[in-house]
Amino acid sequence: MSTALSITLIVILLSILGGLIRILRGPSPAERMLAAQLFGTASVAMLLILSHLMAMPALLDVALVFALLAAVTLVCFVVLAEEERR
Amino acid sequence: MADPLLIFDALLGVALIALAIAVLVVRDRFAMIVLFIIFGLMTALAWVRLSAPDVALAEAAIGTGLAGALMLKTLHHIRAAPAAPVPVSVGVVFANMGFCAMVFVGLAIAFMATSLEAPGLAPQVAQNIDASGVAHPVTAVLLNFRAYDTLMEVVVLLAAIIAVWMIERGIEQAPARHLGEIYRGFARLALPAIVVIGTYLLWVGAYAPGGAFQGGAALAAVGLLLLLSGLYRPQPAHRPIARLGFVLGIAVFASVALLVASGGRLPFEYPPAHAKTLILLIEGVVTISIAVTLAALFHGREPEAIPVSETRA
Repeated sequence: MSTALSITLIVILLSILGGLIRILRGPSPAERMLAAQLFGTASVAMLLILSHLMAMPALLDVALVFALLAAVTLVCFVVLAEEERR
Repeated sequence: MADPLLIFDALLGVALIALAIAVLVVRDRFAMIVLFIIFGLMTALAWVRLSAPDVALAEAAIGTGLAGALMLKTLHHIRAAPAAPVPVSVGVVFANMGFCAMVFVGLAIAFMATSLEAPGLAPQVAQNIDASGVAHPVTAVLLNFRAYDTLMEVVVLLAAIIAVWMIERGIEQAPARHLGEIYRGFARLALPAIVVIGTYLLWVGAYAPGGAFQGGAALAAVGLLLLLSGLYRPQPAHRPIARLGFVLGIAVFASVALLVASGGRLPFEYPPAHAKTLILLIEGVVTISIAVTLAALFHGREPEAIPVSETRA
């Protein structure tokens, strides 16, 4: 069971590292920001798996803070991008 | 077959170094910020793998969430008021390189000189934890054994907001426009949740990872959402309240130290019977100060009286 979870962890990490290409190549800020959001969501998933694997329930709090602040960063991006367009 | 977690750690380490290089070499400023946010995410994961959930929590709250929002706002500010790039002289570049090299050498020497087998201070903390008033060793160190350092960290935040308000004094900005129902709807849904989580992080710090800085950062996100959604607009009349918020944490923190010292003890040597109460009091007010200061740093300027003509724009 724990081996399967570890492999899942590696697959998630590899899959989001693929998203780095989108961030480096862009070209528009929205694409880069969405790739960053993908990283945030995947990090939450990885934290949930790690909290089980490492037997650290405190990691659930870290995942909670991640999920919360990722949304705030996204709102910040959208609002500022909207202001810039006007 | 090797432990799959070891492969994960190796991948994470390589990704961290690659991201650090990418942040420095990428040309686009927006891409730089996004890469830095992701660098923060990966750093938090690395702290988790090093079994340091406290640092991971702080990194998640401040390093990733709020720092990202602050940098996005700064980029917006730079774009809104484009200034000619100031040429940096070669002497300054070399001086900076020299300072960086000194820091690097210093860290390298400190790293090489430290014995890997040294027990560190963990046994001493474990020995005295019962007298500290809290059950979580990290909180015991931050708010009791090394409270002076924590006080100085809060002072750093105060210095930052003083500098920002002085530099940006007099720059006027039309208030943010109405952003529509989606943001307000999101804000209405998210605000109560964030308040609960921020308070929870503060409370849980007594016996698990959490505490004033993490809780304060989460509560600062409330301020960010209020500012972004236009539900709250800073008014010049609110400046005294903001100033009170900035200094409240330091004032209470320092008064507790002085009161304890006046009773024939050392500063921060709380009487064991009241240690838990005092630590909670300090953490509570410091959390409020951190939240107000971070939100004000995000707003970026002292609220000024804005001519009526601009508010109608």
